Parts: sequence; structure tokens; C-alpha cells
Amino acid sequence: VSRGTQNTLLLLVGLSTVMMVIKGTYLHFVRPALLPWLIAAAVVLIALAVASIVRDLRQQSAEDSDSGEGHRHRPWLVWLLLVPIALTTFVVPPALGAHGVTPTAVATSEPARRAFPPLPSGRAPTVSIPDTVMRAAADSTNSLGGRLITVTGFTLKYPDSTDLGRVVIICCAADAQLARIRLSGPAVAEAAGYPEDTWLQVEGTVDPKTSVAATNFVPTMAVSRVTRIDKPANTYAY
Amino acid sequence: MEVLLASLIALALSAGAMSAFVADNADVGVAATVFCGVFVQALPFLVLGVVVSGLIAAFVSADRLARWLPRRPAVAVAVAGVGGAALPGCECGSVPVARRLFGEGVSGAAALTFMLSAPAINPVVLVATAVAFPGQPAMVLARCVASLITAVTMGLLWLRWGRTEWVTKRLPTPHDTDASRWTVFTEAARHDFLQAASYLVLGAAAAAVLRVAVPPWIFQHLAGHLVLGVLTMALFAVVLALCSEADAFVAASLTMLPLLPRLVFLVVGPAVDVKLSAMQAGMFGRPFAIRFGPATFVVATVVATIVGLVLVGGGR
Repeated sequence: VSRGTQNTLLLLVGLSTVMMVIKGTYLHFVRPALLPWLIAAAVVLIALAVASIVRDLRQQSAEDSDSGEGHRHRPWLVWLLLVPIALTTFVVPPALGAHGVTPTAVATSEPARRAFPPLPSGRAPTVSIPDTVMRAAADSTNSLGGRLITVTGFTLKYPDSTDLGRVVIICCAADAQLARIRLSGPAVAEAAGYPEDTWLQVEGTVDPKTSVAATNFVPTMAVSRVTRIDKPANTYAY
Repeated sequence: MEVLLASLIALALSAGAMSAFVADNADVGVAATVFCGVFVQALPFLVLGVVVSGLIAAFVSADRLARWLPRRPAVAVAVAGVGGAALPGCECGSVPVARRLFGEGVSGAAALTFMLSAPAINPVVLVATAVAFPGQPAMVLARCVASLITAVTMGLLWLRWGRTEWVTKRLPTPHDTDASRWTVFTEAARHDFLQAASYLVLGAAAAAVLRVAVPPWIFQHLAGHLVLGVLTMALFAVVLALCSEADAFVAASLTMLPLLPRLVFLVVGPAVDVKLSAMQAGMFGRPFAIRFGPATFVVATVVATIVGLVLVGGGR
């Protein structure tokens, strides 16, 4: 593997990171907070590659040192860098859906009860599904009790029920988990009528008493209104 | 160079077909996304790591490092373990840094101890653990203590039995000794990145395949078996290859298990997993990696179990 090829691969890793940032596809893989770090990493990689390329062009002896010390063992391994370049720039696998996500609740088994901040005011404030699950399981102020809220997620069809789910990531797609709430109440038939993985905005009240170990801390929501929506650009919740 | 250009053109032309293939095969899609997740998440930390290792190459000679370390080997290793708290980040960055610090004798043991302790006991990871386990400060303390003991134990084991000839990968030495600091820095950072990143690809691929191949229900059946639970969670830490800043949240969500197996998961994960072993094989050499990985696994599992029994108890 010549130094020229190595430098080009280094440059391409940096450029593919820039592409991910510009096109926003990095959100399929990691959380938004990593953005400044990704930009910094791309800048460093591109600078390193450019510095090496410039130095090799200046030193006419670059051809002689092609073997590149330290790479005598399995030099072809550097070619593996084409895999992430190809996947992140050309293929761009989709964000994780319900398939392939560990089906565990986000809440802990004996959740330590603590006071959550009050819900936003308004008739039916928007609450994320993981936040709803946490509040139902561990909120000592019972902020969900009797309150109409709006949640957004995709449908999960089970033999005896329909759930609304959201994939939660903490750092990257490797630690993705599924947060879900069970739908019931007057408008559940409409939600159940949609096929699996339909994005819905649902209005209703969650009964925190349904979040117990027996239900795996999946709370039940009495649904009063269901609206079908387009799949959002960023499908993860955090 | 021509091969590279040809591959890139081939990739660009087949991108549509590959995207369709990934979209049609759910498992392939999950594996590809998990692979990208592990790689993209590790990339900034790896870059930070190679910048630090480049700075070490440019400014810190092995002799100077040996002079900084305390004379007594055991004290030197302990200092290196505590010093790990000063590099906030996850485990990918600490491998190239440790490779640069690695030297003969005491400084080798100190570098390995630093490599194991840095990703586990730095403030970011400990705060993440505290947030993931609210109201259970014993978990944070147990993780910190067990990881530190694991790192120091491995350093002392290396002092006693480690052999420098296992480290087959040599770092490039500058052609001319009068090379500028900037040249030394860029060459070291460039070399370390290429080496570590290509092995990171292997490790991330292994983690992605295992993620799809290992059925997730396995560990739901382990609630009642403490020994089986500990062993399974230790193995899970190896195959899942999670970032040490995220693993606490995953451990917190495995509610069907007692605290002890989850603590083992948190101590083993940052010390040894498939992507780390791949990167160690890349930076240190295969004879090193096949000895160091299993030894770390055993030490981390045993230490975490003992510390866990004392600090968080065996039951729920």
C-alpha cells in the first residue's frame, strides 16, 4: 500500500465525515451532541492528510519509502477503511426501527421515585415517549395523572394490542433501545387500523398506575385522538 | 492509487443497488447501521487519541517519561492508574496513546494500566454512571474501584510476566533525527490513525454481526442465576463493544438482572471488547492481543465480582 493511497484514504475518511455532517445522515448513527466533535475530527483528518500529501510531493524521495514502516504486517488492512467510507457516504443505511432493537423498557426495575419538572402548560403538551415512560414509572409528583398529553411514535402491532414506540439512543446506534406505551381507550381502533411502523401523533391520558413490573413498565394510554403524520427526519428520541 | 480510484468508481456506481439490498434485508440493515454507529461514535475519540499520541511522539521521549514516573514499580503503576482519570473520553482513544507511552519495564506496565483505567474512571464516565443509576451511589463507587483495581492488577501482572517481544508492531522512527516537531507530530498521528482505524473497522464489524446474531432474549432468562448472569454479562460486554460513556445506561435498562452482573458488565466493557482487542492487535501486535485480552477479561470479571459482592451485594 503506497503512502499516496494511505493519504488518500485518510483524506476520504475526513471527507466522508464532512458529507455525513452536511447531509445530516450522521443522525442515523449517533446523537446530535456529537456534531462539534465530528466536525473537529474531520478537520484534523483532512489537515493530517493534506500535510502528508504536501510533504510527500515536496520530498521527491517519496517513491523510495513506499513500504512505509510499521505497515509491513498485513498492509492490506488499510483498505478496510473503504468499508466505513462506502457505508457512510454511498450506501447510508437507514436509522434503526423497531426491528433489531433490544425490547427493554427504559425505566429501571425499582425506579427511585423523584420529582420530575412539571409538564408544559397548554391543553395537550407534547411529551416524548421515553419521558412519558420515565414519568409513569418514577415521578413522585404524578405529573401525568389526569393530564391530556400528545406523543409521537411509530405503531407496533402485537397479537392482542397496539403500542406506540420510539427508538432511544444514548450514544450511538449500538446502544439503541425501544421505549413504548400501550394504546387503549376510545380511539384505539383507529390506531390499530394502521399497518405496523406507521407514524402517528396521539392525544390521550396515561395512567401511571399501569406502569408496573408485570407490564414491564410499559404504561397504558387512553387515546382520544389519532393523527397520521409523515416519518420525521430524525426518528430517534434521546 | 489506481486500484483505489477504480474501487471508488465501482462503489459510486453500485451505491443504488447496495442501498436497495440494505433496505430489503432488515438484518443486514441493522448490522450496517450498528457498524456505522460504532465507527462514527469512535471516530472523534480516536482522532483525539491520535492527536495526543502525536504530541507524545513529538514532545515526550521515553527517557523523560521514565524520569517522571516514581521509582518503585508498584507506585508507578498505581500513579498511572489514577492518572487515567485525566483523559476524558472513551476507550478507543486510549489505545494509541498507551502505545506511544509504552516502553521497557516499568513504563510499559504503567502505559497498559493507563490504557485500562482511562476509559473507565474518567469523570465523564462516572457522571454518566451516576445519572444512569439514580439513588445508587454504590454503583459509581464500585465501578470506579473495580476498574482501577483491574487496571493496576494488569499492570503488575505485566511487570511480573509480560514480555516485550509479544509487542511485534513497531512504531515508525523518523528518517532523519533533525525532523521538525511538526513532521514528527503529523507522521505519528497519521500512522496511528491508519493503524488503529483499520482495526477499528474489524472490531466494529464483529460487534455489528454479533448484535444481529445473538438473540436478545438470552439474557432475560438469567435473572435467577448469579454465576451464569455474571459470566453472560461479562461476555455481553465483550461482544456488544459499547462506548464506555453509554454502557451505564444500557446496564441500567437490563432491569431483569441484579446489580452485580450489571456491575461486571460496566467493568469488563471498557477494559476488553471485540473492537478494543482488534485495535490492540493493530497497535501492539497479535501475540500481545491474544494474551492481554483474555487475561484482562478474567481479571476484570473476578475483580468486579469481588468488589460488587462487597459494595453492592449479591442479590437485588
